[in-house]
Amino acid sequence: METTLTPVLGAAAQRITAEEFDAIVRRHQRRVHRFLLMMLRDADEADNLTQECFLRAYQNLSSFRGDSSLETWLLRIAANLARDHARNRKTSFWKRLLGLDDDGTEEAPTLHLAAPEASPEQALLAREEVRAIWDIANDHSQQQRAVFLLRFVEEMELHEIAAALGLQVGSVKTHLFRALHTVRGKLRDLR
Amino acid sequence: MNPNETSHDPLVERALVALDLAAEHHLANCAPCQTEREQVQEALQLFGAANRDYASRPETFWEQQAARIRAARTERSQRSRPAMTLAPGLAVLMLLAFALLRRAPVAAPVQPVAQIDYDHELLVEVERAVQTATPLSLQAATLMVEESDSSRPMNSANSAKEIRSNEN
Repeated sequence: METTLTPVLGAAAQRITAEEFDAIVRRHQRRVHRFLLMMLRDADEADNLTQECFLRAYQNLSSFRGDSSLETWLLRIAANLARDHARNRKTSFWKRLLGLDDDGTEEAPTLHLAAPEASPEQALLAREEVRAIWDIANDHSQQQRAVFLLRFVEEMELHEIAAALGLQVGSVKTHLFRALHTVRGKLRDLR
Repeated sequence: MNPNETSHDPLVERALVALDLAAEHHLANCAPCQTEREQVQEALQLFGAANRDYASRPETFWEQQAARIRAARTERSQRSRPAMTLAPGLAVLMLLAFALLRRAPVAAPVQPVAQIDYDHELLVEVERAVQTATPLSLQAATLMVEESDSSRPMNSANSAKEIRSNEN
């Protein structure tokens, strides 16, 4: 997993060349794309918004002050794009009227990673647990889902999540606490 | 299941969210809570791994995406280039227009039309009418009379004699 954070660019970001920007794209596109895919649950939209995310980043490089890492800044742009996208989809009156809005829901990720020594029952339980957590994440608001995914899929630190979503660390903790409370209850039911 | 789960509940979540010394202290002395924390943690790790696996793409996908981004970036910068080239020219034009507008002679302020004092006019007219021998309305008739008198002066004298003889 490409979790290495890019060193802070600061003022140097303003003098970045096209080739250097291409290198940034190659380094961070996986994480941005994965985050958008998890947020939107729509592969095509994730592709489009990943592209848009990097284009906006390129256009606004001068506004990158280097307060956070470049990756956190990119995830912040991605989170804003995902939020706007969800908002537009929600207000798409004609789509809803004509029944064209399938809400882009993709199947829950299938678990291929069950330990080889796991019994079929254990593997089944693990799959059900993953699905249950997926459903819980989908039931949450955009912001709560973003916090949850950044923590447990991207394995980011709380202060990084806060910086990426423009939240206080305390709010991140609250979102996580609530989500984990639901997850814990659901897992208890399954076991 | 932990029989005291209600009272222990938040501590497991607190321990899962971040390092919490109070929660860690409790978990160290409470085997059921510790087990539950491990179970939830394991499920979350599986969830994360499944999502990362689900989102993984072959290397060619990333190369193509990077190429698409590069192409879109080039296209956008080319599209915005004419605008960037025109922008200074437009700015100069606007400055010129502004300067010309400022230098243009300021139109003389329109003098307010002198208000006619109708009362005064009327008074002057009345004054004039009073001073003339004939009222204005009868001037036409007076003129006609004067004209007819001046055209036959003798006839009028004869007619006066005739009147006098008739009286006699």
